[in-house]
Amino acid sequence: MSNSSTATVVIDRGRAPEGSTHVRLEEFDGPLGLLLALIEARRLDVLTVPLAALADAYLDALASLPGERIGNLSAFVAIASQLILIKSRAMLPRRQEAPSEDLAEDAPDPEAELRARLVLYRAYRDAGVSLQAHALATVGLFRREPSTAQAAGLAGARPADLEPVPVTMLAGALGSLVQLAPPPEPPPEIVPRVVTIAERAAIIREALQGAGVLVLQDLLRGVRDRVVVAVTFLAMLELVKRREIVVEQAEPWGPIHARPTPSFGTPRAEVEELG
Amino acid sequence: MNGRETQNGHEPLNGDYPEAGPSASAASTETADLTEAQLEALLFVAERPLSRREIAAAAGLDRASVDARLGDLEVSLRARGIRLIADGDRVELVTAPEAGALIARYVGSEAVRLSPASLETLAIIAYRQPVTKAAIERIRGVDSDYTVRTLVHRRLATELGRAEAPGRPILYGTGFDFLERFGLISLDDLPALDSEVAGRLEVETGRRGSDDSLDLDGDGQLD
Repeated sequence: MSNSSTATVVIDRGRAPEGSTHVRLEEFDGPLGLLLALIEARRLDVLTVPLAALADAYLDALASLPGERIGNLSAFVAIASQLILIKSRAMLPRRQEAPSEDLAEDAPDPEAELRARLVLYRAYRDAGVSLQAHALATVGLFRREPSTAQAAGLAGARPADLEPVPVTMLAGALGSLVQLAPPPEPPPEIVPRVVTIAERAAIIREALQGAGVLVLQDLLRGVRDRVVVAVTFLAMLELVKRREIVVEQAEPWGPIHARPTPSFGTPRAEVEELG
Repeated sequence: MNGRETQNGHEPLNGDYPEAGPSASAASTETADLTEAQLEALLFVAERPLSRREIAAAAGLDRASVDARLGDLEVSLRARGIRLIADGDRVELVTAPEAGALIARYVGSEAVRLSPASLETLAIIAYRQPVTKAAIERIRGVDSDYTVRTLVHRRLATELGRAEAPGRPILYGTGFDFLERFGLISLDDLPALDSEVAGRLEVETGRRGSDDSLDLDGDGQLD
């Protein structure tokens, strides 16, 4: 069975359906509801009102029902016929003889029967109204549903019935963000930079001048420029090649120790040629 | 068949609990081991309705002990923000009715709203369950196929089974969703019916013990 909550289902059913009444003919979903509404509109008591007096009003209301309610017409007509029967009986003089009592026992009074149906119907109609009121008052009971709670938490627990967030608020938030952000740095100037091996070799020599041993990592501590690091390393290798220093490293990634050799510091400036 | 007790959770969780306190503490000293706190914790973690059978299996207990402990818990929770509700064999923890508005604001939910036709149909189902569509239509005086199907589709009404009557008509009732959406802890909390009708309903349900909902001439036929 397909979804019954949509109007399309009504069409599926292939006959003028009861559903067509839900195209919404106000409250009068059924004949009893209509009759009861007529009684209440006149501020009459269901328990005492002579139903015969309502037959005309009911027929008038029935005649004014829109055409699409035709699917339910039989139900309305059934009540109409009962009302007419009641009215006709009310107009006829009652016979008081015994036979009529027998008759009364055989066939229940149609007015009493219809009245009882009205009372029963009214009880459930009113119960439905109370149920709705209760639902609106308590809104409901909630079971633990992680997805629901989590979604609400992520949404900042914002009540559904609040007004939508004004756009200006978003613009304001963006504005404050802009103010907080530091002014963008000027684009770096492109300056040719020259790091020469001679320059770095001089630094290594200078460092070795004082101390007898030099740890390359110490020398480069704090230097973040990879080119400087690389060129310093090359300078060190160059000094090794010139036998000015010896280098040893006990283990991979370990400290690189450089020591001057006896030929250290020979005042030859050829290194600069390599720059 | 005793549909009312087993099918719609109309009965209290354990018939006689106000007095269950002492007997409960006595029971908890038995070998069977499921304390009220444990039961509460289990239902808390489950995040879905648990059947009494499931609880019994998890705790290694018999159904009677589970029922007794559920009764204890139900009583204890009456003063709390969490309540225990039952739908036939299944039980679950839900928020208390008085917390409904707050929780609804938090999760962004709204109260259910039904048309008058749906409301009166649902009222008939709730008060008279298990009830057939024919019985509903006799009371309403109008074809209710669409309305009933809409309620079932919205899970406010459920099919409880079929009546042992010609055509085996479907019996309708209510379940967890009805209680939750309408903020009812149990069917005992349904708003009071018109007293005269309520009286007659009582008579009818009493009579129904023998021939359940098949009073094909009983409902609409008011003598």
